[in-house]
This record gives sequence, C-alpha cells and structure tokens, in this order.
Amino acid sequence: MTTLIGVGTRLGIVAFDALHVDGRRAQPTRVRLRFDDAGQRLTSDSGLRWPFADLRALRDQADPARVILRLAGNGTERLMLSDPEAIRLIRTRAPDLWKRPPVPGLWRLWAWAGAAMASVALIIFVLIPVMADQLARFIPPRGERALGEATFQQVRRALDQRGVGGLRVCTRPEGRAALDNLVARLTDEADLPAELTVHVLDSELVNAFALPGGIVVLFDGLIDAAGTPEEVAAVLAHEIGHVAARDPTRIALRSAGSIGVLGLLLGDFAGGAVVLFLANQVIQADYSRQAEAAADAYAGDLLVEAGLPPSAIADFFQRLQARGGEPAGLLVHLRSHPALGDRIAAARDRDPGSAALPPALTEAQWQALRSICP
Amino acid sequence: MSQALSTVTAPDALPDRGAGGTLTTDFAGRPEDLFRLSLKTGALTVLTLGFYRFWMKTRLRRWYWSAVRPGGIGLEYTGLPAEKLLGFLIAVVILAFYIGVVNLILMFASYALLAQNGAAYAISLAGVVPLWFFARYRARRYVLARTRWRGIRFGMQPGAWGYAGRALVHWAVTILTLGALWPRMTFALEKYRTDRTFYGSARLTQGGRWQMLMPQFVHALTGGGLSALSALVAYLDHPSFGWLLTLTIPWLGYGVCHYIAGSTRVMADHKTAEGISLVSAIRPQRVARIYLFGTLGAAGIIAAPLVVLGLSALAVETNRAALAAIPSWAFALVGAMVYFAVFLAWATLRHVFVLMPLWRHYAETLTVRGAEAVGTVRQRTPDGSTEAEGFAEALDVGAAI
Ligand SMILES: [Zn+2]
Repeated sequence: MTTLIGVGTRLGIVAFDALHVDGRRAQPTRVRLRFDDAGQRLTSDSGLRWPFADLRALRDQADPARVILRLAGNGTERLMLSDPEAIRLIRTRAPDLWKRPPVPGLWRLWAWAGAAMASVALIIFVLIPVMADQLARFIPPRGERALGEATFQQVRRALDQRGVGGLRVCTRPEGRAALDNLVARLTDEADLPAELTVHVLDSELVNAFALPGGIVVLFDGLIDAAGTPEEVAAVLAHEIGHVAARDPTRIALRSAGSIGVLGLLLGDFAGGAVVLFLANQVIQADYSRQAEAAADAYAGDLLVEAGLPPSAIADFFQRLQARGGEPAGLLVHLRSHPALGDRIAAARDRDPGSAALPPALTEAQWQALRSICP
Repeated sequence: MSQALSTVTAPDALPDRGAGGTLTTDFAGRPEDLFRLSLKTGALTVLTLGFYRFWMKTRLRRWYWSAVRPGGIGLEYTGLPAEKLLGFLIAVVILAFYIGVVNLILMFASYALLAQNGAAYAISLAGVVPLWFFARYRARRYVLARTRWRGIRFGMQPGAWGYAGRALVHWAVTILTLGALWPRMTFALEKYRTDRTFYGSARLTQGGRWQMLMPQFVHALTGGGLSALSALVAYLDHPSFGWLLTLTIPWLGYGVCHYIAGSTRVMADHKTAEGISLVSAIRPQRVARIYLFGTLGAAGIIAAPLVVLGLSALAVETNRAALAAIPSWAFALVGAMVYFAVFLAWATLRHVFVLMPLWRHYAETLTVRGAEAVGTVRQRTPDGSTEAEGFAEALDVGAAI
C-alpha cells in the first residue's frame, strides 16, 4: 500500500510498504515506512530509524524493479522495496546509496600481494635458474635429446601462423647435402656434448637458434638474407657454441618451471597466450652476456680451424643493418647485447686475412642450400 | 496523517510471507541484463590481464543469487572481491613453489630417466588431485558462508581434508569398477557436504541411500556399456563395428547429463533441515536440451564472424604480394585481438545461452516445504575464513561462475 499526499500540484509519498528482515530470524515482516525529512531518516511504526546518509543499496541485482537497502557497515538487516515512487524518492534523499563498502584488511592484502610477488620473483628469477643450471649438468644425453625434440615440436607449432601442424621442415636432398657438407666441415674437429642435428624451417624470419640435445635450427629466411655461405657458417658456428656450452638445456628447463608459475598467476584466459609467448622466448634465447661471449669465442675457434673467416658474421650483421626496415629476430636478439660493435671488431681481428681460404661451399652447393625449401 | 491529504493505493509487487506452507521459487533475471554485466566485467578482465576476474565473479554471483527467489525473496551473495584476491595471493605463495620447483624436478627426472615428459605430467597431476578436492570443499564452504536468504547466513563446518580423503577413495573405487559405482560416490560425497551444511541454526540432512540414484544412471550405464562393447568388438576383429560408436557415444553423453541433472533432483528431494524440506522437479531432458542447443547457439554466433575472417584471410592469402605488404606485428596484433574477442564472446554467450537457462530451470523447479519452520530459523555467527576460494581460484576448480 502506498500513500500519496498532494502538496499544491506536486505529489509525494509520505508512507510506503516494504519487507523487512531483521537478520536474526528468517521471518520477513511487512513494515510501513515514512520519510522523516526533518530528521533525515527513514522511520517505521515498528521502530526502525535508518538515517538517509547510511542507506546503501545492494549492487548488481537481477531485478531492476526492486531495491534492497542495507545500512552502512556489516549488518544483516535488509529492507526490500518495489514501489517505483518510493525508490525514486530514496534515490534523491540518500546521498551515498551506491557507495561501495570499504575494502576490509587492506594492509593485509598489500602484505600478501607483496609476499606473492616476492615469492614468484624469487622462484622465477633465482630458484628456477639456479636449479636449471645445476640440473642441466646431470641430464643424460638421451634425456636431453628428448627434451630438445619436444621443444622443437612446440616451437614449430607456436610459430605456425596458419595453425595447422606446425612449420614445415625443409629437406630437399641437394640442399640437405650441401648443409651436411657445411656442418661436417665445421664440426669435424669439434668436441660436442651431443651429436649435432641441423634443421631448416620454412619461415621468412631471419633467425637461428639452438635447442637441447644438439639441435640447431636455421630459418629459411636467414639463408636467403645471407650473402655468402661463409655468413651462414658463421651463424651456425655461433649456435654450435651454445650447444657446446649446453645453454639451451638450461633455458628449456627454466621455461619448464616458469610456464606453470606464470599460468597460475594469470588464470585460464591468458594461460594459452603465456605458453605461446614463452615458446617464442625459447627462440629469442635470452642468454647471459657471458654465454654469448663464450659462444662467440667458441665459434671463432671453430671457424678458424675449419679454415673459414670469422669476420663473415660481421659482414652478415652489416648486411642486415643495411637492409633496415623491420628489425629481424636475429638482429634484435644480438642487439640486446650492447657489445655488438665490439663483437664485430673482435670477429674482424680473428680473421687470418689470407685470401687463399677455400670457400665454404661451391657455387652449385650454395645455390642448392638457398633452395632447400621448395 | 492529516485528513486533508488524498490517499491513493498502488499495486504492490512485494512477496507474501509464504503462508501456504510451501514456497515456490521464481527466477527474476533477464538475459539482456546478464549479457551486459558479463560483457562489461569480461572486458575489464581482459583489459586488466585477468586481475579483474575476482570482481567479475563476485558481481556475476550477486546477480545470479539475487535472481533466485524462493518464496519471492532473493538470495544474497555477500562475498567480497578483495577477499577472493587475498585468498588467491595466499594460494599463489604456496602453489608457485609447488608448480615451479616440483614441476622442474619432475620434468628433469622424467627426461633423465625415461627420455620423455609424459611421466612428469602424470606425477605432477597426481600431486595436485588431493589438493583439488580440498579446494572444492573449501570453495563450497566459502560460497555458503557468503550466501544469505531472508537475512540468514548459510554455513558449512570445516572438513576439507576429510572430504579430499573420501573423494580419493571413492574415485578409486569408481574407476576400479569402470564407473558402475559412480552413484555410490555421488551420494556419499554429497551427503558428506550436506550433513555439514547449515541454514542459520538449522542443520541440513541428506536422507535416502545411494541405490535411489541408480534409475537416473541407467542411460549413462547403457551408453557407456554399449560404447565399450562396440569399441572392443571393433578393435578385436570387426572394425566395421566402429560406426556403432557414433550412436553409443552421444547416448553416453546424454546419459551423463541425465545422471547429473536427475541425481541432483533426487538428492534435493531427500534434503531436510528441521522441518524444512525441498522438492525438485528438474527435468533431465530439458537440461540436456539447454546444454546442447545453448552450446551450439553460442558456438554458432562466435563461429560466424570467424568464418568470414577466415575466408577473407584466404582471399588475401592467394595474393602473396598483398600479404607481404602487411607487417608481421599486424598479424600478431590481429591474432591476439581475435583470441581475446573469442574468449570474451564465449564467456558472455555461455552465461546467456547455457548458465542462465540452467539456473532458471533449476530455480523454477524448486519448492520449499515447511514455510512455518523457516520462520523459526535463527542467525548463525559469521564464518570469517579469509582464504576464500584461493586454492580453488588458483587451481581453476570449476564452480560454474
Ligand atoms: Zn647467441
């Protein structure tokens, strides 16, 4: 029942019905409420005194025609209203009707947020890397190889933008033979922890990376961008340097630990994206500066022993820089190490300089390698 | 009141006190409101890299709870996003260690000893299973402690480890009997939870026995048995029998759906609390229809624009020059946007086409008997457990909302 009063030409309610639950018994009672504008409160015959300033409405309610009022604070008392005029009048009187309740225990929340971030940071940046470095030493070759194969398949799938079955591995026989020739020339004298397997992936990215278990991957785009077979050999030698130091095994074990933790933090919606992101991180291979320097040094020795010019890597970098445009994967990876200029200079220094070096590949072999992806 | 004032009566939409002894339940939500709320909170979740999800879940629950109105008075959800976030943070501190370090060691051991990673996943999963049941009980306890009806709190006694232990044993028995004793597990676990549940001062009791669920299980059992039989015959010597699976597997699917809905109904019919009892008229066929057509509808709406996108991509694909002109970051950007758009659309449409119709059906088929006894129920003290559903949240234990 609603009572309306006429004041001049305006109509306004003085009294309306609502359902009241007192929060002590599960027995709603019908109450008759009045606006006590002088006292700035809602009153009832049964003794309710609810100040306008303390009125709050429940948020996100399914029924837009009903308003449920509570008092500021944690009380369990409620008033349920469905009279549209009464609801309109309450909206005009209660200044903080839609105010959100204060967040309880904010300092506790911050403390735990700090603890959570600290523990995740500790685990990802300290514990997992240290453990991965230790464990990488003890993993037997067969296991390391399996880890590499699994990672290789993940990378192939992650990089395939068409989303069908993963990037193609290029195996045209003539090109394959030329590549095997080049690899054999480089590694005949090398003492590697695992047998080397070099794959070429059908991708236009200019990139190369090493995986656990002696797997080195070249993208077709890198072979296309190289001007001479010596430049490809220099990149290969650098990646073989990472293989020799078992850098990829460490990275793969690290990401095995980190993927789960990051997935946990971000929940299900971004979980899939995180896995893709980390698969990309594997090929961006964020090795330490020492690891890069060691790989460079190793590559230099390897090239000199094979009778190839270490300075080819410098030619390749300059060719990539001259190409400009979009930064290529390899260049970005290498540019993240501030000593790129030094590395170019160092590579030039190591060059034996004699013009009598036999070429890395014959012209026919080089053309075969360039068309390994039909 | 002054005599000079005119008095007008207006129609009155407030509910009755439930005099007749039974309270029917109505569902007060409209799909367009839910669509708006779900889309808005889902978008905020995507934009905040997932951190708004605690607010999203709370707001959606407030909406669903208020829509379910036994005797015309809606439930109230009083959980707070901040306490969900806190519970999640506490769980992260503990779980990050487990997931990071233990997984790394398992991964290493698996590759080192077996040269493959299947074993690592299996062991890692086995380690999480008890925690998962633990989390489920805790999640239910949290939700009940944050649910009120007629101003009176629900509540649940502690017992998560006991629940996890029982769940493990029952699952082992169910798996060893090839699923035949599933109803025994359903009954035992639901009884464990119900018997620890309170509405205010009234303790709930799960009556009945597990055999009463068997009639609901017939479809699942038949579909499962025939599927196994066809697969076996096809595998052993008649591969042509394989086509039978196209009939028996949908039957099994329907059977599972029928069982979940039907057992919920039978179990509800046998729940009592000091003079109060429930009567449910859930119709398993209706539930199966909602699942099937709701999911198809939502998937169809999402698939339509994706097909158009795919076809236009194909058209561009044939033109290699045009393709080369598009930088790769643009591909990545479009890919990420499509990923998030599909995620958001699916979450929103699932609410509108599947969850809301289900809730509506479950609500509208529920009757509370013993309305007079409800009125005598008194308030219980609040359960201030602060971890909320942290573990459930972190382990993604699926409460529907
Ligand atoms: Zn490197």
